[in-house]
Amino acid sequence: MISPVLAESPVLLSHHPLGVSTGYMDDLRGEWEGQIERARAFSPFAVELSALAEDELPGLERYLQSAPALPFRYLSVHGPSKGRVISEAELAGRLARLSVSVQAIVMHPDTIRDPEPWRALGRKLVLENMDARKRDGRSAEELERWFAQLPHAGFCFDIAHACSLDETMLAATELLDAFRTRLRHVHVSSLSHDGHHVALSEEHEELFVPLLQRCLDVPWILEAPPRET
Amino acid sequence: MPGAPLEQLAQASGRAFPHLTRARAQTTEGLIACRARLQALEHQADVSVVLMGSWGRAELTSGSDDDFMVLLAGAERAQVRPSVEQVQTVLDRAPGDQGIFGAPVASEQLIEKIGLERDNNSNLSRRMLLLLESVHATGAQVHQAVRAQLVDRYLDHSVKGFRPPRFLLNDVIRYWRTICVDFAGKEREGPHKWGLRNAKLRTSRKVLFAGGLLPVFECAWLEHAQMPAFLREQFDMSPTDRIAQAFLSHHAADPGGRALGAYDDFLGLLDQAAFREELEGVTRESSKRSDAFGEAARLGKELEQGLSALLFETSLYPLVREYGIF
Repeated sequence: MISPVLAESPVLLSHHPLGVSTGYMDDLRGEWEGQIERARAFSPFAVELSALAEDELPGLERYLQSAPALPFRYLSVHGPSKGRVISEAELAGRLARLSVSVQAIVMHPDTIRDPEPWRALGRKLVLENMDARKRDGRSAEELERWFAQLPHAGFCFDIAHACSLDETMLAATELLDAFRTRLRHVHVSSLSHDGHHVALSEEHEELFVPLLQRCLDVPWILEAPPRET
Repeated sequence: MPGAPLEQLAQASGRAFPHLTRARAQTTEGLIACRARLQALEHQADVSVVLMGSWGRAELTSGSDDDFMVLLAGAERAQVRPSVEQVQTVLDRAPGDQGIFGAPVASEQLIEKIGLERDNNSNLSRRMLLLLESVHATGAQVHQAVRAQLVDRYLDHSVKGFRPPRFLLNDVIRYWRTICVDFAGKEREGPHKWGLRNAKLRTSRKVLFAGGLLPVFECAWLEHAQMPAFLREQFDMSPTDRIAQAFLSHHAADPGGRALGAYDDFLGLLDQAAFREELEGVTRESSKRSDAFGEAARLGKELEQGLSALLFETSLYPLVREYGIF
């Protein structure tokens, strides 16, 4: 069921489970059934449903409330980090009430002001390390403060974000060393010069392999379409 | 001096295993007390009282039963000392219904009757539990000798060097599939303890299976003559040590820490009476509303993901592909 476009990417292809984020499906924004269909065509095992902008959340809530039959064995939701209007307490509560089949809620720590309402998500909450442009949640030291306040939260290792801090991958290694026991899933992509997720380059794939080898037991989510061969 | 593989994995992965460590200590202490009580019983020289289940996995918790078999070296006979009934009077938590261990188990039956109709579910279960998760309470030499004979039986003339012994591999896989099929069969009989049995299938049964499977695959690095000693040494270790060692050997310490970490968490929860009672009362229908069942399922999934990564994404993968299915 894995797309043939990954045929020349043996490291990714050999991993299981592998899935995609719907966040890159700009042409299907708001059309959840279409996003799911495209994600399922790539892999029926794992998916991340992205409601990165807050105004996407109501549509996702309605879609999941309709109890669609989904094939995925791992289902995560990326919570809003853009266009935030509602209170943190309301947002955390609404995310907590999403379908029981949602196994992880990924949040950007730099968008959390008050950890208190987020504690209710318990282990479902997963904090992602941020890229170099952000002001918090980037390094192991910065993330440690968040995990101290949200002790049950898991870790989403965004390897491209970590690489943006330090192309020697030392910062990435520190992140994985510090939070490996919390690791829940991995975001895989490269970053463009302006910080957008783009297809994993061959150069980055080679650079990332030693760290990805430490993450063999968790889902890998592609945050950009796989590169064409 | 390196510690047990589980300790080494804790060090390499940064994940402590407090519940497994405590359960091991309780098992050791319990064995001392148990042996002292059992030694008061008259023992024939060719008899061993063997403990299985949590005892055999070195995972004794507050809710563990004293699962045991009276093992007899050689052929069946009428008078065996101690008897099953005598042992039951000495052990505190021996199940009232001894089920497949209600009579002494003769090694000849286990070793010589592998396969065909004579090898029924009971014989298969007794043999696999003896091999994969057992520890002697009395009669150490009998227990060791029978297990060695069993290993030798599996490593007969059909086995070739530098490949997993298929006879044993097939029987280990057969046992795991039998457990799974029997789970479905029991469910059809009624919902009694469905939740607890399901949770154990996802966790401790998987540890039992993986703890048997991994040493068999590791035989692929050995000459035929090296296999008996290797397997005896492996089966002397607890299943979690065998699994920890495999994660370390195949450079997967981090996934190993997370996998056995999840199992450690499960064991800690199982040690809590309220959690165990909730699981016991869960049925398939009520499972979606049970926090305890949800937690057990999640931890079971994390354990499975780690074991699958070990089998399919490390240097074990070619062996699994070559020998694991057909």
